[in-house]
Amino acid sequence: MLIAEGEYLCLEGERGNSLYIVQSGMFKGTSRKNPESEPEYFEPGSIIGELSLLETAPRELTIQAEEDSEVLVIEQEQLKEILDAKPSWINSIMSFLVSRRHIAEENKKKSDLVQALPPLLFLFAKYIENSKTDTIPLLLLQEKLHDMNGTAPEEANHLLQILEDLKLLKIERDVVRAESLQVIPLLYHTLKYRALHKQVSPNILSMTEQMVLTVFLQLAKGNRLTSNDGICTIPTELLKEEAKKSMHFTLTSRIVAPLVHKGVFVTDQPFDIHAPLDNVPCFYAEFEKSLDLLEMNRIFPLLDKKLVG
Amino acid sequence: MSTGDSHKQLIPPTQVSVKAGFVVYSPDDETRNIIILNKGELAAVDRSEIPARTIFKMQPGELVGVAALLEREPFKYTLEATQDSEITLISEDCMESELKTLPLWLLAVIKGLSAQTRKLKEATRKPRVQNTLKSLSEYISHLEPKKSYPMDELCREFRWQTKIPESQIQADLKALARRQFLEIRKGENGTEIYSDHPMLIQIYVDYQKASEKNKPWAPFQLTDTQKKALTLLAALQKDVQTDAPSWLKFFTDSGIAINVTEWIKMLSFGWFKVCDDSSFQVNKDKILYYQLALRYAANIRGVL
Repeated sequence: MLIAEGEYLCLEGERGNSLYIVQSGMFKGTSRKNPESEPEYFEPGSIIGELSLLETAPRELTIQAEEDSEVLVIEQEQLKEILDAKPSWINSIMSFLVSRRHIAEENKKKSDLVQALPPLLFLFAKYIENSKTDTIPLLLLQEKLHDMNGTAPEEANHLLQILEDLKLLKIERDVVRAESLQVIPLLYHTLKYRALHKQVSPNILSMTEQMVLTVFLQLAKGNRLTSNDGICTIPTELLKEEAKKSMHFTLTSRIVAPLVHKGVFVTDQPFDIHAPLDNVPCFYAEFEKSLDLLEMNRIFPLLDKKLVG
Repeated sequence: MSTGDSHKQLIPPTQVSVKAGFVVYSPDDETRNIIILNKGELAAVDRSEIPARTIFKMQPGELVGVAALLEREPFKYTLEATQDSEITLISEDCMESELKTLPLWLLAVIKGLSAQTRKLKEATRKPRVQNTLKSLSEYISHLEPKKSYPMDELCREFRWQTKIPESQIQADLKALARRQFLEIRKGENGTEIYSDHPMLIQIYVDYQKASEKNKPWAPFQLTDTQKKALTLLAALQKDVQTDAPSWLKFFTDSGIAINVTEWIKMLSFGWFKVCDDSSFQVNKDKILYYQLALRYAANIRGVL
């Protein structure tokens, strides 16, 4: 088939069922999906449209002749004739190769999404920290993420959508609003700790720790036990009673100790894990910070599932 | 249409019947085969773990070993029959003899699919950005001014974010240091990164973006009149908020002839913020941005 200079061989997104083998000339392939990616060139000997031939897949590129060119067209019928005359395992190998390519493509997409999360959180956290606002223009975030990580705007939008589903942020027309100013940086630092130290961050609380902290915050809120500087003080006796009532467990020094060691709870005197809990008259904690920590602990375990599930 | 060499003798596959428990393939085996299960059941078991873990089970019609044979990718599991089974073994010679009978274009399709898969797998391990200097500049621009950061930690964090190799990060840090956007210096705890003006690095990112697109970059396109206006606005002590005619009068009174066209241009530079009552106020951040861009023009252009 002859294709004159400037003519299109196929258009991105249209379904095709034939393979082209370039016999002479030159073709240029471009993508609207990735406008900034380098164009791909097809010279004599190149093949175009393997997946269209094998499974009528949409064309991945728009391909235009750079000069007067000639292609050999292979239709699905020809392929079928050849494979029918061969042992069935040849067909199995072809199917295997196609499915393996799809898996690799899917894995690449997931990997790109996972990879884009830390820079997105970093950029968002830094922007809200420096601008003292809770929003960032969507276009600016997309641009910065592209500059830093090569993430395409559609991928950034997909990731933002996932984070919106997790109630970490809200996409409002042309800005992205952080649901809480501290949860985004907290999540970033927790992910960073896991990646760089290869261990669980101290920000990650066990279920028991989360339950104790929840009881503590409920008491602080219900009894208005928060001072003007945002520090809440809960008498140990009250905390023990409420834990027994609402969570059905007896609060001990051993249960509370991790929260003290992580700096979530503060005591007046040095905390002794072996001493009775009643020796500590009360516990202090920052109300907003503790709420953010709980929120981050709600989101964190859902992230992996949302990103790669 | 050109086809492969069909005259060469075909080597037939081997049909084998195995009893339950028979090890069909072990990672120590030197011979590689594609294994097709015709009847029964096979399990791929990871024997490097204790206790051994079943990774997947094969049902009739399924096959393994294509990547091992075509691309030399090691198959790391032991393949065992969990029931009495019938299998077909396709050796390298058998496959080659069969593939040689295929038309060349079909061979090219097979190779193309393998190459695409390999490329996709490799791409997941590589950085996505092409301009690593721009990427690092974006990251560094968020550091706090006049604060020292341990270089090792910065490199590790940035590498985690972008997958850019450490050697490249260090080369890019040196490139930024050569432009005097930051200093790499010895501190108490090893090498440290220090920057007076991280904003300057953000300016450098914007310059690079404009250069990549072959677009003129506004700070380097200012006319003499605009530069004079910039200096005047930078020197303003008070937070003046007034309407456009008053601003034009202010410039004229200061000996700078600014007409409406120039005024619109200044608005497009972002030098003024529009207030609620449609009056205008100087945008100090943008003025500083343009000032820094002009002061460090040689550093930004890399012509030191």
